[in-house]
Amino acid sequence: MNSLIIFALLIVLLLTGMPISIALGMSVLAFLYAFSTIPVEIISQRLFTGLDQFAIMAIPFFILAGAFLTTGGVATRIVKFATTLVGAMHGGLAVSAVLSCAFFAALSGSSPATVVAIGSIMIPAMVKQGYPKAFGVGVIATSGGLGILIPPSIVMIIYAVSTNTSVGQLFIAGIVPGVLMAAVLMLVTWLVAKKNNYPTLPQASLREIWQAFRDSIWGLLIVVIVIGGIYGGIFTPTEAAAVSAVYAFVVAVFIYGDLKLREVPRVLRESANMSAMLLYIITNAILFSFLLTSENIPQQIAQWIVDQGLTPWMFLLFVNVLLFFAGDFMEPSSIILILAPIFLPVAIKLGIDPIHLGIIMVINMELGMITPPVGLNLYVASGLARMGLTEVTLAAAPWILVVTAVLLLVTYVPQIALWLPHLMYGIP
Amino acid sequence: MINRILDNLEEWLIATFMGLATLVIFFAVVHRYSSGIPWVWQYTRNISTSWTQELCIYLFIWMAKFGAAYGVRTGIHVGVDVLVRSLAPAKQKFFVVLSLGSGAFFTATIALLGAKFVHFIYVTGQISPDLEMPMWIIYLAIPLGSSLMCYRFLQVMWHYLKSGELPVHTYGGDIEVVA
Repeated sequence: MNSLIIFALLIVLLLTGMPISIALGMSVLAFLYAFSTIPVEIISQRLFTGLDQFAIMAIPFFILAGAFLTTGGVATRIVKFATTLVGAMHGGLAVSAVLSCAFFAALSGSSPATVVAIGSIMIPAMVKQGYPKAFGVGVIATSGGLGILIPPSIVMIIYAVSTNTSVGQLFIAGIVPGVLMAAVLMLVTWLVAKKNNYPTLPQASLREIWQAFRDSIWGLLIVVIVIGGIYGGIFTPTEAAAVSAVYAFVVAVFIYGDLKLREVPRVLRESANMSAMLLYIITNAILFSFLLTSENIPQQIAQWIVDQGLTPWMFLLFVNVLLFFAGDFMEPSSIILILAPIFLPVAIKLGIDPIHLGIIMVINMELGMITPPVGLNLYVASGLARMGLTEVTLAAAPWILVVTAVLLLVTYVPQIALWLPHLMYGIP
Repeated sequence: MINRILDNLEEWLIATFMGLATLVIFFAVVHRYSSGIPWVWQYTRNISTSWTQELCIYLFIWMAKFGAAYGVRTGIHVGVDVLVRSLAPAKQKFFVVLSLGSGAFFTATIALLGAKFVHFIYVTGQISPDLEMPMWIIYLAIPLGSSLMCYRFLQVMWHYLKSGELPVHTYGGDIEVVA
């Protein structure tokens, strides 16, 4: 009964259009005043102690690193490198755009940031080469989603924090599905381009490839810092994030010199703005899930679902469908923070690996970002291409099928996500 | 005038906290690995870095509380506005004011509760485990940040009622105002 009231309250408040963080906080307040015996004072303490975890602090650091990479000329060089590699294929520029997104995703933990970084270069380039604008925009909005699947990933950190799983293992688990998704997107782009006879670029010589690689190596080295550093036990994920932020700053300002020193305070301020918004949602979501836990609600829901005799595959289908709809209305972090603590106990009871569940949720979030009405990537891409939201949505629509196909594959073949982390962390 | 000072202070504060926290953790990592280089280590071995994680967390909590207030001003706190957008303008206005009002109400409540909590911690005289700073100063982030956020909600509401404009955050940074 209580659970129904809490959720009904939250949904009503969300539908009024108030900020998600405020809706979460208000439902907690209202519930505490009206029904619960927990003293309201606990809220103020929770507002502070909720954030008092070093793991969460990786989020602002990765946002900062991403901001330096986006503005600092790293994206341009990655695009150039990707173009020399696959530009000679059918639809070379579009295939390069997917590959660039995959590379950039390996440096940055955010999807919209990936769309901005690669899209602002590639969308105009594709239009200039005579691609239909809608095609280019669809490709970019979709492959920008790789940003949260290929590590590092802010969404994965949020999942790890709200379910107490290992950030390192989640990152490693994202690699194979991420590469798979990138490969499938490149394949589909190539097939479409071949069918419509989209232009190709001249084949780059080995020398040019090497030159482009050497130019982009300073940016690409962040992969080594993050993945190598975390897996090799050199840093904690948070430290890796801080080191990559400092490194990205040095690359952007001193090595490439595309960012002026006097622009740094602006980058810091914008990253702080974005981070604070996420941290504010996280604080209030932690408050909300604290309330749920103290009312024993996740356990009740878990028991109820198990009592319905749901098999693992049915549960996962249910998860996917629910997330698909949730993803249409809310942005990823809030969905994960609200739903992950509810899904997790069920998944554990049904013998589903929490890491696997995490990857499934992340791919669902990718899907949510290209489905209307609230598709963050669609908004960003429409801003970049100066196209209406409806047109961009239509442009991205066929890609929803492609991403869904990969999602189902990863959902029902758990080894895709789990093979690498099990191998690397020695889990049998 | 006071608004200008407040705006600048807010922006300056969050950018500084962000940069400082990054440097602190970077320093801690560099320090840890300097132990592998004997001629550096003889100078750095006596520096203790156990306080860095704590400082980083506190800096980010302060950044989060004040940044959240800055976020109200830049319109970065988004909600589920699909339903509201489809309403007639008059009703839409009602819901926008309602959501801004709820924001102001929630943050005011938290500021009040936070202030009570700071007083409570002040009486107990707790200090932080590593930095040995009085905890009440650290917890001050909640009432201060939340009051500022409340003020920002009221400010945005006032501006909206006067001009019908809301701040809208766009990716890539610039703040642009759309009707």
